[in-house]
Amino acid sequence: MRNLIAFFRRFRIFLVFLILQVFALTSYFSWVQYPRTRFFNSSNGVAATLLDAQQDFTKHFSLEEENERLQAEIKALKKSQLENYIALSDDRIRIEDTLLELQFDYIPAVIVNSTYTYKNNYFTLNKGAASGIRRDMGVISSNGVVGIIYDVSKHYAVVKSVLTENINIPAEIVNVHAGGLLKWEGTEKDPRTITLTGISNDIPVELGWEVVTNSQSGLFPKNHLVGRVAAIEEIEGKPEWKITVKLGNDLRRLQSVFVVENIMKLEKDSLESVFKEEFID
Amino acid sequence: MNPVVKHILRFVVFVLVQGLILGQIPFPLGIHPMIYPLFILLLPFEMGLIGVMVIAFLCGLSIDFFMNTFGLHASSAVLIAYLRPELFSLFSPRDGYEGFEEGNIYQMGWRWFIPVFGIFTLVHHLYFFILEYLSFKEILFVFQKTILSAVITLFLAIIIQVLFFKKGKKK
Repeated sequence: MRNLIAFFRRFRIFLVFLILQVFALTSYFSWVQYPRTRFFNSSNGVAATLLDAQQDFTKHFSLEEENERLQAEIKALKKSQLENYIALSDDRIRIEDTLLELQFDYIPAVIVNSTYTYKNNYFTLNKGAASGIRRDMGVISSNGVVGIIYDVSKHYAVVKSVLTENINIPAEIVNVHAGGLLKWEGTEKDPRTITLTGISNDIPVELGWEVVTNSQSGLFPKNHLVGRVAAIEEIEGKPEWKITVKLGNDLRRLQSVFVVENIMKLEKDSLESVFKEEFID
Repeated sequence: MNPVVKHILRFVVFVLVQGLILGQIPFPLGIHPMIYPLFILLLPFEMGLIGVMVIAFLCGLSIDFFMNTFGLHASSAVLIAYLRPELFSLFSPRDGYEGFEEGNIYQMGWRWFIPVFGIFTLVHHLYFFILEYLSFKEILFVFQKTILSAVITLFLAIIIQVLFFKKGKKK
């Protein structure tokens, strides 16, 4: 009898262990299924407030660098302003005005929390649904690509950064217009580089060439810099290059980013979904 | 200080240090030190296992909130909490744990603390990184991460105790 009671005492402990483990592990393994993980991430409540306070404190450490970056960006923008140009022909500008329609809108935001050492890394932004941010919008910085919005609360948003295994952002090499997918392998250990896959190995590629986004996904504006080709390797048994791209921005030191809103995304998606229903299913 | 208050304070401090400092520093070579196993190890010897596991679970969960890891820290914390008594009996002093309050360096000595906490962290880190990577291909990198991170964690754990713990409270 005493043995039986001892057995149940032992078993009770194991049961508690099992319940806690099942709770933690189901939450971990279902993180891909979007709605169930809402409970855990840092776009919620106390953790977000604390991370905000930390960002308030640490943001001053890199002000100088941040100013230089902003200045460079202002310079680039100044160059593209209309009043800096002499109109060669009056009608031409008028014609362009009616031909252009705004496709991308940018929402500025600040990174309040980020990781780089995990296999999948997420950033938290200080703006959320109240500022017009929605799931699946692209996030860029002035000289690079940051990621895709993964989850949004009222005042915060979590970004699935490019340092995430299955990020799959379409990109292309400028000089040869060859398109592929950007991926990050957790084993790369280096948060400054990313891999470009799917470039056929009969295309000549040289070190230092620029890699930019293309408009396939509709998440990013076309021709926004991602980085430069830093290494080219052959993949054994596959007619493909494995191209290592050095990111244009160091994600570890990044603070200000822009969330990209594609005003015409809904139109594109609904058009494409009709196509998919008719021809693929 | 009242021991309950002391451990609650430690809980908060360890979670904040992990979430706001250690989790934010970009270490090279995939190093990712996690200091909260020390908090779980330092819970009183006489505490019931279920209590230890529940507290470890809450501790891991709080860190998950900061790091967007969706339950990974919670699972690893509960595992080491569950293994804690086995480890203690493995390294039991000659007269058992009678009269000792908690497993810090000053009460149990270096020769007890370093192997016990070393195994504690190794198990925790190995489980954590295996779950994080879930791939046989990257097993060598997982081992590298585990060992390097565990060394840094052990080092941090010793520094924390030397700096912030009171000496000579042996009963």
